[in-house]
Amino acid sequence: MNLPISSSEAELVIPELIMLFGLIGIILIPNLGNASFRIPLTRIHVPVFIGGSRFKSTSNPKLPNQVSLIIFISALFFGLMQNSYGKIGDTLEVTEFSRLFSLIFIAALLLATIATTHRIPARPNVKPPNDDDSENLSSKKINALIDNRRQVDFHIILIMVGLGMSLMSMATHLFMLFVCIELASLSSYILVAFHKESKVGGEAGMKYFIVGSVASAVGIYGMSLLYLWSGDLSLDALAIKWSESSSIDPLAGIAVGLMLVAFGFKVGAAPFHLAAPDAYSGASSPVAGLLATASKAMGFVALMRILVSVTMPTEGEAFWYITIAVIAVVTMTWGNLAALTSTNPKRMLAYSSVSHAGYMLAGLAAIGSGLGSEEAIELVLTAIVFHLAVLVIFKFGAFLVLSLLETEERGHKLEDLHGLARREPIVAGSMFLFMLSLAGVPPLSGFLSKFLMINGIVNISAGTGASDATSVLDWLSSVEPVFWLAFAIVINSALSMFYYLRIGLVMFFEEPEDSKSIKDAFSLRLAIAICAILTVIVGIGPLSDSLLEMVADAINSFVSN
Amino acid sequence: MYIRIINGGEFLSDPLTILTLTPIGVGLILLVLPQLLPGNLASSVRKFSRNVSFGVSMALFAFATYLSFTTFGGIDWLDINMGEYELMNDEPVTLISSIGVSWIVGVDALSLPMVWLTALLIPLSMLVEWDAKEGHIFHPLILVMEGALLGVFVVLDLFVFYIFWEMTLIPMFFLILVWGGEDRKYASMKFFIYTFTASVIMLIGILVMYFHTGYVSGVSGTLTGHHFSLIEMDSEMIQSEGLRHLVWILLLIGFATKMPSVPVHTWLPDAHVQAPTAGSMLLAGVMLKMGAYGFLRVSVSLFPESTVVFTPILIILGMASLVYGAWVCMGQTNLKRMVAYSSVSHMGLIFLGIATMQPLGIAGALFMMFAHGIISPLLFAVAGAFKHHYHTLEIGSMRGIAHHSPYLAAHMMLGWMGSLGLPLLAGFVAEVAIMIAFWMSFGWLVILPALTLIITAVYYLTSMQKTIFESNDRHHGILPDSLHGEEPRDITWNENTSMFILGILTIAFGIFPFIFFDMMSDWSSGFVQEVLLNHLIEQGVTP
Repeated sequence: MNLPISSSEAELVIPELIMLFGLIGIILIPNLGNASFRIPLTRIHVPVFIGGSRFKSTSNPKLPNQVSLIIFISALFFGLMQNSYGKIGDTLEVTEFSRLFSLIFIAALLLATIATTHRIPARPNVKPPNDDDSENLSSKKINALIDNRRQVDFHIILIMVGLGMSLMSMATHLFMLFVCIELASLSSYILVAFHKESKVGGEAGMKYFIVGSVASAVGIYGMSLLYLWSGDLSLDALAIKWSESSSIDPLAGIAVGLMLVAFGFKVGAAPFHLAAPDAYSGASSPVAGLLATASKAMGFVALMRILVSVTMPTEGEAFWYITIAVIAVVTMTWGNLAALTSTNPKRMLAYSSVSHAGYMLAGLAAIGSGLGSEEAIELVLTAIVFHLAVLVIFKFGAFLVLSLLETEERGHKLEDLHGLARREPIVAGSMFLFMLSLAGVPPLSGFLSKFLMINGIVNISAGTGASDATSVLDWLSSVEPVFWLAFAIVINSALSMFYYLRIGLVMFFEEPEDSKSIKDAFSLRLAIAICAILTVIVGIGPLSDSLLEMVADAINSFVSN
Repeated sequence: MYIRIINGGEFLSDPLTILTLTPIGVGLILLVLPQLLPGNLASSVRKFSRNVSFGVSMALFAFATYLSFTTFGGIDWLDINMGEYELMNDEPVTLISSIGVSWIVGVDALSLPMVWLTALLIPLSMLVEWDAKEGHIFHPLILVMEGALLGVFVVLDLFVFYIFWEMTLIPMFFLILVWGGEDRKYASMKFFIYTFTASVIMLIGILVMYFHTGYVSGVSGTLTGHHFSLIEMDSEMIQSEGLRHLVWILLLIGFATKMPSVPVHTWLPDAHVQAPTAGSMLLAGVMLKMGAYGFLRVSVSLFPESTVVFTPILIILGMASLVYGAWVCMGQTNLKRMVAYSSVSHMGLIFLGIATMQPLGIAGALFMMFAHGIISPLLFAVAGAFKHHYHTLEIGSMRGIAHHSPYLAAHMMLGWMGSLGLPLLAGFVAEVAIMIAFWMSFGWLVILPALTLIITAVYYLTSMQKTIFESNDRHHGILPDSLHGEEPRDITWNENTSMFILGILTIAFGIFPFIFFDMMSDWSSGFVQEVLLNHLIEQGVTP
């Protein structure tokens, strides 16, 4: 038989194949029933299993969630086990870099699945409303029935997001890259608007969709200009063509600029971030967590491919250096200032995620300055990727806590967090850890990544200060402007302390509106606890070393390509 | 790290590591355990956690005493060269290998008295508030605090130093917020944000130093190639003089805020007035000394040149704190506020002592850190007991304590006398040493600090007269309204014991200052000779 993919190639993409077959499975399994086909003119019934009245096990509304959990856990497991790398066809290549990002995406999706178990709960025993039910009760029952019906939809889309993102990190061809991004993006627009019964949900999805598709259109236009210029969209060919041309062709420059708009929207860089806070606050917390971690990581993969692999000259500064540096500073400052004034915790986290994008863009800008040695550039890239990896732990952890609050229809305003420590000491303690880690307090993992970033930027720039300066001002005026990027990160971190601490403050010192403990959601609590433990031990100790090693390997494979 | 700890038993058998990590470990276990255990067991753990905390802190005090005195521990503290440390762990234990963070501990004559002082004050402050409400949280929190404070003094890796430095904030924040006075929310937030912002600025300074360290195998980060180890740093590592000055200023902001020095002292009076007695005792007794310790250990040791260049700044800051603090004291009607401002004033003397650049002056500053660390907890214990039994802190609302609580009156008197520098009490030694050195360096300028001591005497004697004695009735004091006509009780046994011990030590170190003063002056003369002298000559100052 002639398979489209050879077995040695299939070995490379086991996690993706698991997701692909899982996608088919999750559509088929809930439809299994006792349908049979009677052979004409006989009495023999041949069971065909698709359709008919469904079996008790397959009609259980909890099933899709369980299948999706199994899919992501096994994909994560096989992804971790994998150690062979290579090309698949012309457009995909599995490297340490792509594998690491697949793992990041799958881990984020796994957390989203766990949170959804309790966020959109399936209730197998719910009955349709009777005539003698009160209005309240019957609307409750209807809602539960709706939740049961849409279990499959949610998980299908979730797996599609995973497939798109995972393939996207492997793409070596710009067109493939864009198709995968669109697969993930379109699915995530649906996820944002998933709670269509609530006003904010639909509005958020619509906003996110319109802004996102305009950004994509602009990006595709840029890509078509790039195709006009080079005639080949594979990244290698583009890089060669770019390094051969002595000056930058305006066509190519504009093309890359337009593509930056599309990717800038994905990472949430100012001024393309405006839809993000609305999208986050309208979406359910697991989805918002997905946007803040996996979707952002996806945008950064694309940015790194375009900016570092293709358009980075071997000597001197890149043409985008000043632009990205300005965007970085504006993004982090805007994000932090807006977060200071927001009272919705999800909005606050959205703005904090905007400011984090700013920190990472500052790293990219420092690379673009062209002052750094190869090691310094690798160091900054390591810092960026490490930050994207640990974001899944503590940023998603914070969204998990909000998901737990959402199970009782809370989590949309700061008052909902009031007195959480009295109701749920362990959950509140974890939330406080996540906040501290987001703020970059040592020795948590958020600190380590921010520290590596500052270290990289300073490494690139601090040597430029005059060594014979005898007064403070002399030295400051002699140092390269890149140094001020590190300074901007430090100042912004100090600024961000205020809103992160405010969360801790209201959790510990305000009176709770309701003193009962929250619903018993075991798997969600377990996920929160695991995230909290990881936040600490990835910051200090052997686990941080092994993760950093993984990231460093990934960067090695990325740079050597 | 975790695997390495299990493998290397040496890491845990190291005395300073035990001293630092035991209280944190025990304290955290006592705090968390009741959350995890079922009801019955949890309540029995709660019942004993106060006693366990006190027992552990006493054991640690005994251990610290054993290490501190040559007679017991066998370490000759007068025989340490500059830049060498005793009781160090054999080889650095790597904590974060990628960026070069290691666990390195060691003490010398600069940190040892502080370590002993911390180990002493913890059980005493627990004793003062023996009956604190929710004692099952209160006492373990103080135990965690002990570990963080000891960590600041013994750790020789700037990253771990910074972590411990920030860690001291958290228990203190909770102590003020949960057990504090009426305005505790405002005070604790101000305390936290104020000192946190200052230490972030300090962190920037530390990072600049970090980025200039060279590669040292075994300590340096595998990814970055730099390290945080204080012993491997030297003053030459930053080549640009301008950058050195910049780092010095950044560090000074962090340290001066902690000390605190005018103009960044405003968090202190609020924090002290609202803090519970034990919190105030530790805040004034040890936490303020962290600033002075860090300044000597990092700023002066690594940037002697900048210190010499910026001596005028030190003198201005020191003089401003001394005079302003004393002046404000005269106008205070709140007992704790007065003691708090007197702390600001005494901390000013430490800056002046360092600014003299004389062995005697620096030794005096060191002894001031120690003496103030014994006297100010006594003062705060007294103020706390006063508040506890008379329900007020207003000076003058209660007159004639001597009639009702003779013990409290005696402790109060002893503490205030010690604080204003009465001969034969601990404070006197330090003040005289600083004054003599100041005279040697700056001549007749010494009149200014000397006159300030008179102001100190004025405010202490006035309030003494108002609170202890002044009553027209021979057998009965004038009771404050806050008692609502009830008779006040005498102080409790635990308050009395604690104050008694502090009082005895105030006298003991006044009569026998050499117990610690010898090693301090030994350290300072070595310090001046080996670190400062060259730069002093370079700048044309004759020591």
